[in-house]
Amino acid sequence: MQASDTIVAVSTPPGRGGIGIVRLSGRQALDLARKLLCKEDFAPEPNRVSLHVLRDPETGEELDRALVTYFQAPRSFTGEDVIEFSCHGSPVLLLQIVDALLRLGARAAEPGEFTLRALANGKLNLSQAEAIRDLIEARTAAAARQAARQLGGELSATLQPLKDALLELIVPLESSLEFVEDDLPDLEIERLSARLSDLVRRMDELAATFRAGRLLKDGLKATLVGRPNVGKSSIFNALLKQDRAIVTDLPGTTRDALSEMINLEGIPVLLTDTAGVRDSADAIERMGIERTRRAIADADLLLVVVDGSEPLTAEDRELILEVAQSRHLMVANKCDLAGFSLGRLRETVANGAEIIAVSARTGQGLEDLRRAVLRSCSAPESATDSLLLTNARHYDLLRRASDALATAQRLLQERASEELVLVGLYDALRYLGEITGETTPEEILTQIFSTFCIGK
Amino acid sequence: MRFSGFDENFDVIVIGAGHAGCEAASAAARMGAQTALVTLSLDTIGQMSCNPAVGGIAKGHLVREIDALGGIMGRVIDRTGIQFRLLNRSRGPAVRAPRAQADRSLYRAEMRRTLEATPNLHLRQGLVIDLIVEDGKVRGVELQDTRRFHAKAVVVATGTFLNGLIHTGKRTYTAGRAGEPASIELAESLKRLGFPVGRLKTGTPPRLDGRTIDWSVFEPQPADERPVPFSFATESIDQPQVTCYIGYTNERVHQTIRANIHESPLYSGQIKGVGPRYCPSIEDKVVKFPDKNRHQLFLEPEGYDTYEVYLNGFSTSMPAELQQELVHQVKGLEEARIIRPGYAIEYDFVDPRELTPFLETTRLRGLFFAGQINGTTGYEEAACQGLIAGINAALFVRGEPLFRLHREESYIGVLIDDLIHYGVDEPYRMFTSRSENRLALRYDTADARLAPHGRRLGLLGDEDWERFNRRRERLAKLRAVIEGTRFKRSDAVHAELSLRLNQNLGDAISLAQLAQRPNVHPELIYELLPAETRAQTSLSDLETVLADIIYSGYIDAQRATNERIHQHDYLRIPPDFNYRAISGLSREMVERLERARPETFGQARRVPGMTHGALATLLVHLKLRRAA
Ligand SMILES: Cc1cc2nc3c(=O)[nH]c(=O)nc-3n(C[C@H](O)[C@H](O)[C@H](O)COP(=O)(O)OP(=O)(O)OC[C@H]3O[C@@H](n4cnc5c(N)ncnc54)[C@H](O)[C@@H]3O)c2cc1C
Ligand SMILES: Nc1nc2c(ncn2[C@@H]2O[C@H](COP(=O)(O)OP(=O)(O)O)[C@@H](O)[C@H]2O)c(=O)[nH]1
Ligand SMILES: [Mg+2]
Repeated sequence: MQASDTIVAVSTPPGRGGIGIVRLSGRQALDLARKLLCKEDFAPEPNRVSLHVLRDPETGEELDRALVTYFQAPRSFTGEDVIEFSCHGSPVLLLQIVDALLRLGARAAEPGEFTLRALANGKLNLSQAEAIRDLIEARTAAAARQAARQLGGELSATLQPLKDALLELIVPLESSLEFVEDDLPDLEIERLSARLSDLVRRMDELAATFRAGRLLKDGLKATLVGRPNVGKSSIFNALLKQDRAIVTDLPGTTRDALSEMINLEGIPVLLTDTAGVRDSADAIERMGIERTRRAIADADLLLVVVDGSEPLTAEDRELILEVAQSRHLMVANKCDLAGFSLGRLRETVANGAEIIAVSARTGQGLEDLRRAVLRSCSAPESATDSLLLTNARHYDLLRRASDALATAQRLLQERASEELVLVGLYDALRYLGEITGETTPEEILTQIFSTFCIGK
Repeated sequence: MRFSGFDENFDVIVIGAGHAGCEAASAAARMGAQTALVTLSLDTIGQMSCNPAVGGIAKGHLVREIDALGGIMGRVIDRTGIQFRLLNRSRGPAVRAPRAQADRSLYRAEMRRTLEATPNLHLRQGLVIDLIVEDGKVRGVELQDTRRFHAKAVVVATGTFLNGLIHTGKRTYTAGRAGEPASIELAESLKRLGFPVGRLKTGTPPRLDGRTIDWSVFEPQPADERPVPFSFATESIDQPQVTCYIGYTNERVHQTIRANIHESPLYSGQIKGVGPRYCPSIEDKVVKFPDKNRHQLFLEPEGYDTYEVYLNGFSTSMPAELQQELVHQVKGLEEARIIRPGYAIEYDFVDPRELTPFLETTRLRGLFFAGQINGTTGYEEAACQGLIAGINAALFVRGEPLFRLHREESYIGVLIDDLIHYGVDEPYRMFTSRSENRLALRYDTADARLAPHGRRLGLLGDEDWERFNRRRERLAKLRAVIEGTRFKRSDAVHAELSLRLNQNLGDAISLAQLAQRPNVHPELIYELLPAETRAQTSLSDLETVLADIIYSGYIDAQRATNERIHQHDYLRIPPDFNYRAISGLSREMVERLERARPETFGQARRVPGMTHGALATLLVHLKLRRAA
């Protein structure tokens, strides 16, 4: 009886590429490949590539010449027998090959099904499976690198010493409860407490990388605001270095909030251009303005643009007041013009606030603006140096673990009985375990017996 | 094949009058089943094979639970214990537990007396060599002396006897315990029936002649002044209490062991079975902890009327003459003579993953296993399984639904759940850390947790039940007083307390709140009780109520944590759920799930051998199904 069937899918992204891969996974993978190659004796060496002709199973007509690789269970991505056909990249051709395999008895894989099988066969742990999803969705190279590190098990490897340290704390406390009659060393409360603080600090440090990690993964929403004609769309385009928004001399012609993803040092920034923030009788423009207010509420960072070549208008001042409570940067545009001055702006803007002078036309100051954006979200200097926490679930669990430990430490200091201190330690261990796998009571006992000589 | 009829007919047959068998037979008989307890020798009923002691951390909890359900171990040890101590007195109430040294021969006699006084219980001496099986059901047993007994249910509680093999140095011989024959035919019969059998080992230390010990060298360890009994029925322990003694090994002993390690069957490769890590032999201790320059020993009297002394901590399977030499090297034992040498024993156990939560085998209806046969070690672990198996044998005979305990409510539940889900790879002993619910499973709440079950099953008589209810009412009343008694800032007591504790007590504080402050001991609360309440309150009742109060916050928080972590446990798995349709589940996982037929994801999580990956996949599918 077949526990699970054999699944097939094109596993390279849709679209025309140089090469397209069709992946087949399951017990019958090899059988189906034999039929597709019309070679009953096809017995490939695992992990070796060989060139073969793929044929339509019914007509025998040649479909493609492909490089065929066999990954033998359990040493494959899914843990099952896997065959990969590297074919020529035409979408039509790839579909034909998939179709041939379907007719031979394979089933079309559902989204994520290969990963699910890898999970089921213990080839991946939970955080690695999450990393695969992140990897697929990564929008910048840096985000992809982080996901790849996590997939490589780096998160589990980072957590393991924390878990080990926790176990080392649990062991003496647990032993002193369970083996009262044994000749165990006395508990050194101060030392245990110091180790607990150290552990809390390490967890908090890891948790703190989430801010940067989330930026990498989810990116930052930066929105350009300002009255019409100050040059928002021009800046938007300059940053994008491509013509997307229509630029006119007529006030109020940029009606839609246009969004585009840009890549600032590996951080995906969703840049949004808005219509001017101006009370307007024009219905169409009003709709744009409504959208703008929503965009303001939505943004992680506002780029408040004024025209530095003109005196500030009432409208400018109003906007400056309005954004005071949100995270924002002041941008004075048109620094290429003769009348440009930062002085007027300095008087209005709260003391010391940074003002960036730019010219959308010449590109002057845009680099400063980019850096200011990065600084404002306190992105790490080089986001790719260390492992970052990118997943909210992991962050939440780590915070809970750290809180549980802090409580345990307080109890330890109050000289509460060990079983109460242990509650927090076990909770923390369980939270950490939840991120990757689990720690069993058996592991704890094993530690106890290897640490202490116990038993009568 | 002989088809001679049966010599006798019973409802239930229990094989083996060890700790499991005695509880099983007693429970089944008191539940109305005509019960035969068949054992090798009536003179070794309730024999303690090793240490003459009952209880300890977690094990004491088990005895309390046995007692609360209506078992007999607690009462028997209360009458025959010669040194009672409550362990962990300085720690929280959840990890306190009673322990008692027993007079080995009085314990046996009292157990036998208890069984003989039980209606419907029939003692039979003999060696069972085979199970009689018909149509996938057990029908009875066959004895070595050719007798055949018929029964509808059989409980096997044969301890270390199945294919028992004793080792002393290089000498080996078959035995169930020193001086008692092994049970070979029955072991083969179980294998023939297809039960998967493994091998474990355990050991015991030498017994010394107390008259040859220099007692002055050892540190005395007296009994508690006010012994805490095991049984909720015992008012007080009145028999005289003896003193145990503590001593140590030394480098010389260790050197001799190292020099002769090849003589130990443990290290010569002669012993294949896995022994318990928490009961290491002295050889093990010396080899595994080379940096320790001494190991603790306890000298424990075996009884009132004997000079035999148990050398706790010195379990060994070295040759007898070497044991004598090693003993002589211990300070204070220079002249000590060995009465019985220590030894190691290997025996068969049956993989407990074959069992249901009722301790019934999945292979043969009506057949139950209890005790060491299931891979556990310890009298208490055996006894509690015996009780559950005995109860279920009686229910089985009546055709009623079987009885199980859950992990959340008892250590017994934890033990059985662990056994049937994870199996064992070394002898299984109870620890409080095996429960994720330790704070709620206190020794002093065993009655509140389990007595209602015991009553429903018919194991708690009217007297016990009334005592239980009286205690419950007393505790409730006391709790109301403790929660209701408040001291305001204007009261003189408030000021005095603030000063004494050096704590800010706020505008008003109740006794219940006060009890949760650091450094507030039950004695202080006792002093502060209203006079008329104090007069009617025992310190032990007060400790129970205070523990309920102190732990309640933790227990709630832990429950919330557990619920969050196991938030998917309540996802229902439809009865017609097709595991085969789940892509990626290996055939092995599918088969395990199909055999177990879990009703919820939580149950699936506990199906033996499930991998994390398989569970994650199952969860994804269950959630997809719900979303659809
Ligand atoms: C040498 C030794 C050392 C030990 N050391 C420790 C220790 O350090 N710590 C610890 O916790 N536990 C120890 N134990 C284990 C402890 O003794 C057992 O766990 C406990 O006694 C098991 O109880 P039981 O009821 O399952 O079986 P047992 O107490 O072994 O009783 C089995 C009974 O079944 C009878 N029987 C067996 N076969 C048959 C048959 N075919 N027909 C009729 N009757 C039969 C026997 O006569 C015996 O009465 C040790 C045991 C031994 C033998
Ligand atoms: N000289 C100069 N003109 C600019 C600059 N930026 C924008 N403009 C002009 O200002 C006008 C309004 O620009 P636009 O980007 O549509 O402004 P928006 O309404 O804020 O989006 C256009 O005519 C632009 O060419 C700049 O840096 N220097
Ligand atoms: Mg515009």
